[in-house]
Amino acid sequence: MNNQKTYTFHVHGMHCNACILVTESELSDLSYITDAKSSLKNHSVTVTGDFTNIDSSEKSLEQIAQELTVSLKPHGYSVEIEKQIHKKKWSDFKIAIPVAVLFAILFVLLQKAGLVNIIGGGKVTYGTVFIIGIVASLSSCMAVVGGLLLSMSANFDKKALEEHRKTNKRFKPQIMFHIGRIVSFFILGGVIGVIGSAFTLSTTATFILSVVIGLVMLILGINLLDTFTWAKKLQPSMPKFIARHAHSMNQVNHTLMPLLVGIATFFLPCGFTQSMQIYTLSTESFLTGGMTMLAFALGTLPVLALISFSSFSIQNSKKSGIFFKSAGLIVILFALFNLINSLVVIGVIPPIFNF
Amino acid sequence: MKSVVIAIIIAIILIFGAMFFKKNENSIDQENINNVSIVNDQQIITINAKGGYIPKVSSAKAGMPTLLRFNTKGTFDCSASVRIPSMNISQVLPNSGVTDINLGNQPIGVLQGTCGMGMYPFEINFQ
Repeated sequence: MNNQKTYTFHVHGMHCNACILVTESELSDLSYITDAKSSLKNHSVTVTGDFTNIDSSEKSLEQIAQELTVSLKPHGYSVEIEKQIHKKKWSDFKIAIPVAVLFAILFVLLQKAGLVNIIGGGKVTYGTVFIIGIVASLSSCMAVVGGLLLSMSANFDKKALEEHRKTNKRFKPQIMFHIGRIVSFFILGGVIGVIGSAFTLSTTATFILSVVIGLVMLILGINLLDTFTWAKKLQPSMPKFIARHAHSMNQVNHTLMPLLVGIATFFLPCGFTQSMQIYTLSTESFLTGGMTMLAFALGTLPVLALISFSSFSIQNSKKSGIFFKSAGLIVILFALFNLINSLVVIGVIPPIFNF
Repeated sequence: MKSVVIAIIIAIILIFGAMFFKKNENSIDQENINNVSIVNDQQIITINAKGGYIPKVSSAKAGMPTLLRFNTKGTFDCSASVRIPSMNISQVLPNSGVTDINLGNQPIGVLQGTCGMGMYPFEINFQ
């Protein structure tokens, strides 16, 4: 009786393309293994085979890992137990899908609730601007900035968990994002205050930017689902010529990219940011303009921080499946929302959403 | 822990459900307001922009000089950014004030507009 099962194990010592060839050929040579596929990126090997003992009992994971290590040890590798991808994948969606739908409903209700009416028409103070920031972070802008942030943060954290990174180092990308955003808002706000005009992109540029961001979010969202591994190849990262500059590449990827994304959120199409720019240019001073935009950015911080640190309580990558699938679905929904709206704004399709 | 999260979520849904129904009561009256006036042979369509456009649907006359007047009062949301794709109009309104957009002579048909992000629509039926 052919009892084929597929398991994935963590491989210590895998660091080059040759490692893939060696591990795959050594493991395939084992009589009970029918297929072995190694992944350099994940430092893992997925083996398919008949794992029953002579007495017809199933080999335990520890047993299999030990046996595989025996054949790989001469080459300097060892095999450890990692999650059983095969079993858990689809059942996670039973919870992830309702969670994502719940968030979509909450999002719609939030928009219908008319939070903007909290903002009065009177004098605009830093306190007013802070409140505007809070309202903005709960508004449709959440689909753009929040969605992008979630897609980026969840992907970073998923990778951090898979690489068993320590908690105090796990959230560096997210912190870099917030620093980039807050500092750039202050500086750019000051610049707007001084030069007296806002940074606006042309209609075409806005359209292109929205579509690019929508597509990036879509890919990152699909990647979080962990179901379609081909999407991993499409995942944007630093260009290869920078990546080739070794180990320090990781630093660049984790520090510079989120920082740049944080700064870029200033230019994302969001009605609130544009309105704030209009107000800021009337301040006619670098300090006042800077402080105004700073207050706005700080107002958006609570919700954005919540989004970016939402995976904080997850301690190991084994139980994270449900969370990241939910996040992935939410990101995909936001991405579609943004893409549809981009087409509406450019005039290709009539308005779909009616809040 | 899980039950706390569920309880919070249900509470939020109830709160916003209540706010949603309350807002609906107010906006129904505003749909029927006559927001079109003619001054010196020019048609002025007045729309309030805050958390969306009110009224969402306007009826006006085709074939005469038309001005689209937006009122804003503490408007910082998406409705401050007006977009009319068919005429390639993109304008950010001041936070509080009155802004006129010249539509010229409009043919018979529906003029579609949205906020800068596409989620608050408004339309004008020209007859």
